[in-house]
Amino acid sequence: MKKKSGIKLDIGTKTVLIIAVSLLLLMVVFPLLNIFTRAFDESGKQVFSTIFTSEVVREIIRNTVVLGIIVATLGTLIGFFLAYAQVKLNFRGKKILHVISLVPLITPPFAFATAIISLFGRSGIITRDILGLTPTLYGLPGLTIVLTCSFFPVAYMSILGMMRSLDPALDEASASLGASKLKTFFKVTLPMLIPGFASSFLLLFVEASADLANPLVIGGDYTVLASRAYIAINGEYDVPAGSAYSLILLVPGLIVFIVQRYWGERKSVVSVTGKPTGVPTYIENRIAKFFLLIIPVFMASFIVLIYATVIYGSFVRFLGVDNALTLANYRYIFSGIGSDAIMKTTIMALIATPIAGLLGMVLAWLIVRKVRKGREMLDFLGMLGLAVPGTVLGIGFAITFNQSTKIGETTILPQLAGGGAIFGGAVAIIMVYTIRSSPAGQRSAIAALQQINPAIDEASASLGASGFTTFRKITLPLIKPALLTGLMFAFAHSMTTLSPIIFITTPETPIMTQKILAEVDVGRFGNAFAFCTLLIFIVLIVMGLINLLVRGNPNKALQPSHTQIVKA
Amino acid sequence: MDTNMKSVSTSSKLELKNLSKVFGQGKERVTAVDSIDLDINPGEFITFLGPSGCGKTTTLRMIAGFETPSQGSILLDGQDVSSLSPDRRPMGMVFQSYALFPHMSVYQNVAYGPKIKKLPAEQVKQDVSAVLDSMSLSTMANRSPNQLSGGQQQRVALARAMVMQPKVLLFDEPLSNLDAKLRAQMRLEIREVQQRLGITSIFVTHDQDEAMSISDRIVVMRNAKIEQVGIPSEVYLRPASIFVADFIGISNFLTVDGASSAGSNKASVNVLGRHMEVPAHKDALASESILLVRPESIRVKRAESGNQSISGTQGQVMQVVFYGQHVEYRIQSQVGIVIAVVSDPIFSEIVPVGEFAEFSFDPNRSWLLPADKK
Repeated sequence: MKKKSGIKLDIGTKTVLIIAVSLLLLMVVFPLLNIFTRAFDESGKQVFSTIFTSEVVREIIRNTVVLGIIVATLGTLIGFFLAYAQVKLNFRGKKILHVISLVPLITPPFAFATAIISLFGRSGIITRDILGLTPTLYGLPGLTIVLTCSFFPVAYMSILGMMRSLDPALDEASASLGASKLKTFFKVTLPMLIPGFASSFLLLFVEASADLANPLVIGGDYTVLASRAYIAINGEYDVPAGSAYSLILLVPGLIVFIVQRYWGERKSVVSVTGKPTGVPTYIENRIAKFFLLIIPVFMASFIVLIYATVIYGSFVRFLGVDNALTLANYRYIFSGIGSDAIMKTTIMALIATPIAGLLGMVLAWLIVRKVRKGREMLDFLGMLGLAVPGTVLGIGFAITFNQSTKIGETTILPQLAGGGAIFGGAVAIIMVYTIRSSPAGQRSAIAALQQINPAIDEASASLGASGFTTFRKITLPLIKPALLTGLMFAFAHSMTTLSPIIFITTPETPIMTQKILAEVDVGRFGNAFAFCTLLIFIVLIVMGLINLLVRGNPNKALQPSHTQIVKA
Repeated sequence: MDTNMKSVSTSSKLELKNLSKVFGQGKERVTAVDSIDLDINPGEFITFLGPSGCGKTTTLRMIAGFETPSQGSILLDGQDVSSLSPDRRPMGMVFQSYALFPHMSVYQNVAYGPKIKKLPAEQVKQDVSAVLDSMSLSTMANRSPNQLSGGQQQRVALARAMVMQPKVLLFDEPLSNLDAKLRAQMRLEIREVQQRLGITSIFVTHDQDEAMSISDRIVVMRNAKIEQVGIPSEVYLRPASIFVADFIGISNFLTVDGASSAGSNKASVNVLGRHMEVPAHKDALASESILLVRPESIRVKRAESGNQSISGTQGQVMQVVFYGQHVEYRIQSQVGIVIAVVSDPIFSEIVPVGEFAEFSFDPNRSWLLPADKK
């Protein structure tokens, strides 16, 4: 007889709820509403009206969809092979393979594109110097390689999680009923993974179709919606048209988001079966093992090659042209505007990280424990910041906060974004960092909270603790690992994000990723490589520090007992 | 037990007035608790007993403050506490899952409440040690909850609630995760602690043995309403309805005819071809009635060899289960299967399956009930 608690919200909880909702309204809903209104201005309407008549607009949309489908398919397949190797194969270097599979998540947006142009481009080290080829990389082929490399970890993580949660007893049951390993795979394992495939396909589709950074660098003539919106706003100064393009971009994202949530709800019924009982068995057949490892090893080598290129490239004059070792690139980026960007980006990301972590945590707590009516709505609002493509959010921020916010005649907020804004527009950038990274914390905290028996909260309340005290003393310590993940993601994501930021940077607040784009644009790859190397370095250092900070001061007595927290 | 703990409880009185809880809206509206009234005396141990979904847990959770009543009030020593949040109510709760904080030691778990209350450090230490002592947990103070056995975890949960010196202790099926032997032992322990401190207590269970052995009074609930309130012997021997009789213990319901009043609380009836005077429920004669006879009230002896038929008080033995201290018979009679439990059996007098047996009972050990409420 488990019932969700129907505690009346105490004042503290109510206050927290109101603050959280206001923040979401300000940071996501308000900018999106503004896009809607602007997109239906004169030139915006024109874009919409040409969707079905203009071959140009249709081609842009087709390009976007084709790219999304190719990348989603390839990324999901690669993610699956990597996850399968982790769960089902036993080989040396498994841990390293895992780490390499996650590395692209913290890679700055241009690292892959630049490295691949240097290696495989028309005058690439491998293509021209070694193989004597001059392939055309710009356009769909280059985008496919770069985006697949950038986004397959998303598929890897979601499929890995799903495979680990499969009960090995199912394999055992199938074997005991006479099925071979191969048969078990096709009849039992694969069908159960289909929801995982579908959800990662959808996720990758949205990410790939909304990416802005790579189409700018390696897209060539292959125009997609995101790059078209960017050109409209930053090149043609046509805000309504840009808003309109980004609105089209919003459609698949939101559909996928809603479908996935619906799917996720149903899926969770199956997958929450508690801890696996049996012992997972590895595939021992040498031939099978060999073939199953081809793709994982190839991917891992490729990523290592890319990284080596980036790091090596940062220490030479011009990779592939003049390979003399030099520190000139670093001297350049540390001088003047470069070091300013490094400092300011890091500081703003450091400010946004705890705010995003806290916001995600608090939202999760409200959603799982406190709010009954409208919890889906609250969850949706919280996730919206990530569900919306960065380009859309950036444009929304630009048109919303480029002037002061007024209700009637009263100014409630000063100008937050663009030239002449307070703090040089830093407030808007920190807001974007926050709202883009809090959803990850929210998701992991929701998963962690759902593992904790509600009776634990009730026990605390019946011992005299208020809602907030319970959160601080009971809930927070129990979801610490989720908090850690949330904070690390928040920082890495903030440091490496480009698409929303590019619309709201100002001369006073230069951003590293934007500087990298500028260097790539003018062909100074060495400087770009130096920026990327440094960025990765900063991200790793800060992640280590967060780990120390949150994990530190451990409660000596105890590790949380899973038998205790798992729902009875 | 030291004096510090004993001085705690000037026992409190708890009253539920017209208490209701409705979940959901429109078509999905479910009345979990339907206007119940109950007075619980200071120091009393009350058990809510009933099948799952009868509203017992919801009632308990309303008393604790985890559910807001849709209607009615909860009075503690005459004061309405129904609008107070759980942390403001002087009540302790022991949960089915124990709900021990997994990231804290036994000591930290017990000290959690006193620290929230901002008691001076010295006092916290003293109170916690006293409670741990009284529950024989002192040696485990530094252990983590997951290093304890189920029974020990249960004791920590109890200690954690008791250290707050609550006016009312609430138990939500606290023994259901323990094995049978430990369960019997823990209920004695709980009862002992409760009586020693005189804390008004409410215990929710669906286990009738547990309810009967631990309670001062039992509240039997069914479909969101109270079916009967009474001391254990009353509920067992003088159930208010067929439902109560059926839910608690095993019952034989014998059809009767020609029921008529035979003075106060008595009725004369014809049953199994005999005429007898039996004790009767006050509403038993208002409409059709049925006679409750507990299996242990029925005597069984082998039928005379000349009479091998199913008629009157004679039937055929369909099943015999031998338990050692008693034998359980299922006898096919003319009114259906009659269950009889014969204790302290004599070896040569056990009637084997297939043979015919004569059964009888003392009319004073039966109870006439209204039949319309099944």
